[in-house]
Amino acid sequence: MNYQQYYPIDVVNGVGTRCTLFVSGCEHFCAGCHNSSTWDPSKGHPYTEETEEQIIRDLGDTRVVRDGLSLSGGDPLFPNNLDSVLKLVKRVKTTYPDKDIWLWTGYTLEGLSDKQQQVVEFVDTLIDGKYEADKRDLTLAWRGSSNQRLINLTELRDEENYDL
Amino acid sequence: MTDIIKRDGSRQPFDATSIIKAVTRALNDAHVRDDDFARHVAEEVELSVQGKPQVDIYSIQNQVEDLMMRSKYKDAARKYIEFRQTRDIQRESRNTLSRDILSIINQDNDELLNENANKDSKIIPTQRDLLAGVVARHYALQHLLPRHVAEAHKRGEIHYHDLDYAPFFPMFNCMLIDVEGMLTNGFRMGNAEIETPRSITTAAAITAQIIAQVSSHIYGGTSINEIDRIHAPYVRKTFDKHYKQGMRWIEDDEKARDYAMEMTERDCFDAYQALEYEVNTLHTANGQTPFVTFGFGLGTSWEERLIQKSILSNRIQGLGKNHKTPVFPKLVFAIRKGVNFALEDPNYDIKQLALQCASKRMYPDILNYDKLVEITGSFKTPMGCRSFLGVYEEGGQLVHDGRNNLGVVSLNLPRIAIESSDETDFFRRLDQRLEVARDALMNRIQRLDNVRASVAPILYIEGACGVRLKPEDKISKIFKDGRASISLGYIGIHETINALYGNAHIYDNEALRQKGIAIVEYLRTVVERWKQETGYGFSLYSTPSESLCDRFCRLDIKEFGIVPNVTDKNYYTNSFHLDVQKKVTPYDKIDFEMDYPLHASGGFICYGEYPNMAHNLKALENVWDYTYDKVPYYGTNTPNDSCYECGYEGEFHATNRGFECPQCKNRDSSRMSVTRRVCGYLGQPNSRPFIQGKQEEVVRRVKHL
Ligand code: SF4
Ligand SMILES: [Zn+2]
Repeated sequence: MNYQQYYPIDVVNGVGTRCTLFVSGCEHFCAGCHNSSTWDPSKGHPYTEETEEQIIRDLGDTRVVRDGLSLSGGDPLFPNNLDSVLKLVKRVKTTYPDKDIWLWTGYTLEGLSDKQQQVVEFVDTLIDGKYEADKRDLTLAWRGSSNQRLINLTELRDEENYDL
Repeated sequence: MTDIIKRDGSRQPFDATSIIKAVTRALNDAHVRDDDFARHVAEEVELSVQGKPQVDIYSIQNQVEDLMMRSKYKDAARKYIEFRQTRDIQRESRNTLSRDILSIINQDNDELLNENANKDSKIIPTQRDLLAGVVARHYALQHLLPRHVAEAHKRGEIHYHDLDYAPFFPMFNCMLIDVEGMLTNGFRMGNAEIETPRSITTAAAITAQIIAQVSSHIYGGTSINEIDRIHAPYVRKTFDKHYKQGMRWIEDDEKARDYAMEMTERDCFDAYQALEYEVNTLHTANGQTPFVTFGFGLGTSWEERLIQKSILSNRIQGLGKNHKTPVFPKLVFAIRKGVNFALEDPNYDIKQLALQCASKRMYPDILNYDKLVEITGSFKTPMGCRSFLGVYEEGGQLVHDGRNNLGVVSLNLPRIAIESSDETDFFRRLDQRLEVARDALMNRIQRLDNVRASVAPILYIEGACGVRLKPEDKISKIFKDGRASISLGYIGIHETINALYGNAHIYDNEALRQKGIAIVEYLRTVVERWKQETGYGFSLYSTPSESLCDRFCRLDIKEFGIVPNVTDKNYYTNSFHLDVQKKVTPYDKIDFEMDYPLHASGGFICYGEYPNMAHNLKALENVWDYTYDKVPYYGTNTPNDSCYECGYEGEFHATNRGFECPQCKNRDSSRMSVTRRVCGYLGQPNSRPFIQGKQEEVVRRVKHL
């Protein structure tokens, strides 16, 4: 996997003070996409063991306490990214069970593949759906267009009738 | 025949007798008589101009000067030169005076008209005030300031702040109004006897009146320290009144209480809405909306809590039908462990409301109780935007309300650094300039020496200054022994370090960081010495450089040209602040700035530049919490502009031509509300343009997140 940008301290992608990783690779090609430079999975910097180490280290920082990790892109659920992302979210949840994970994807929750589902199991908040320029709405929190959903998976998991 | 070209460009035939007259006059002044000599000088000059069609007046005068200097009448020569200089200065200044006045008529001098983001120079009362200011400044520079102080000010070595008011008028800068004393003991205003209010509604209305009066008599900010504590008794009275009424009709104690509480909550909310509205519609005699600050947050009684909530929810709601962000009063919310810092504290809910308010309206800024006490010796709200009083006791009791600041004179530190060959030279020159600044500050103090209380009854007779003097009493005694502060300010630590030590950025270099702190620490030791020597409350103040950032830099460019990393940005950085272009996290910025307030304890504030945080109060709280044991006073710049065209709320783009809505690209300044920090206060640059250097700075600001 490659990544475009890593912000060790971020407040604009999810609630609280976070670490945010923008990965490379996306197959949705939304018209009007803000991050079209991230479509090509071979662009950006290689995501290595070291990148992962740094993220784990930053999340554990005691000076500037982080509330969790945000994954955006590109698409963290782009097939090519799933191995690295799965490994990362697993590790984050084992190391810091109290920190939450937010993930932005162009797929919709209902249409996820099994492998994508595996990642999403570790995610607390999912923002799903493609960006649709004609539904652009800058007033929505954490979303770019009104078709996108902000899904609190942790809450959903607590509801019995939800069968993941 | 030779023509003389005069200063104004007009011509006159050469006339030897005027030279004879001038020389004779100089001789007389030096107590010599020698008519032959005067005639001899005139003849020499006449000879030299012969055959030339025109000569300008300066070369004639220089020639006279030379001839006299070479003669035996050195004294007379000196008199002649002196006379000439005085005449030049007078002529020069008559020109600036009329130029300044003309620019008010023509509305074409931005420096003069936009100097204060809080004044609308288009309207008549403001123009009258500007005119008075032009004359007052002019007269002060000419006649009231010591010559060397006036010259240093004009050259931009120091800045004698607020010359348009003081020393011409015997006014002081900013204060904490003793509203408590005025409300408890009553006072006279105009023809009315004001008694102790019997409800929060009246208390708030009278407070607005007091603010209006006081602001017309001082030129800086008026603050109310702990307004929740001061107004609490009147909330109680309102409750009692409603409760009594409730019992008359309901006869059920519990229901009557519920009724009374509901009515009280409504009254209290309305009272602060009216007060906020008043403050924003007020126009003082100074032609501006008063710089008002409300400090609150520490009270835990239900009355105080209700006041805190009312102030915050009013602000969140915004002003008028567009729910515009009010610029005044500035809100300063105190945070204290055990009161409102953590989840288990009794007022934690109000901290959450304060966070919501800050994310939407930029204010409140926060005061961290423990750090403030550590640095300034006791808890108090800043006077104006950032001026802090030191400790002062009367009869073993700490006193804050009724005290004031006498004014500021700021040093142009980058200028000294540009002039200096090295660090030693810098401190040597700094010492010299500090002496001038001290003379300037003493001039401020002396101006108030023989002034009597009748000059401002509201301040000195009716209790705003916490005293009830008689009209004929002298006011100077209430400024002594550290009761009032008088401040040395400074600008541009960032540029100073660049000019002195060259290429590395102060942020990236630990040694340079220490150098920056050392300069401020040194200034503090100097003002402490002045305090010991004079008994006046000298303090070191981190000047907010609203117009000064522009002025000093402009004058330095004129003098030294573009000096890379010093004058090349067209503005200087505020006091000790980190260069606005440096991209760092707010946490790192706090760490960078945290050592300065301790030394500059007479005035300070730290800020961070944030994106819109309306959806992320948690992150905002993280930063507030981080500041708690690091900086005493912190503001979060979280732009929340609104577009009247498309309804967008969030941050507009700052461009050199103005602001733009990111959603619909609207650029019509009358169809948007844009709020930015100007100095310690907020401003609305879409309706009143910032001065050039400031707009430049706003455009260059980088987000810290
Ligand atoms: S899913 Fe996101 S990154 Fe991919 S094209 Fe759409 S907007 Fe761009
Ligand atoms: Zn718009």
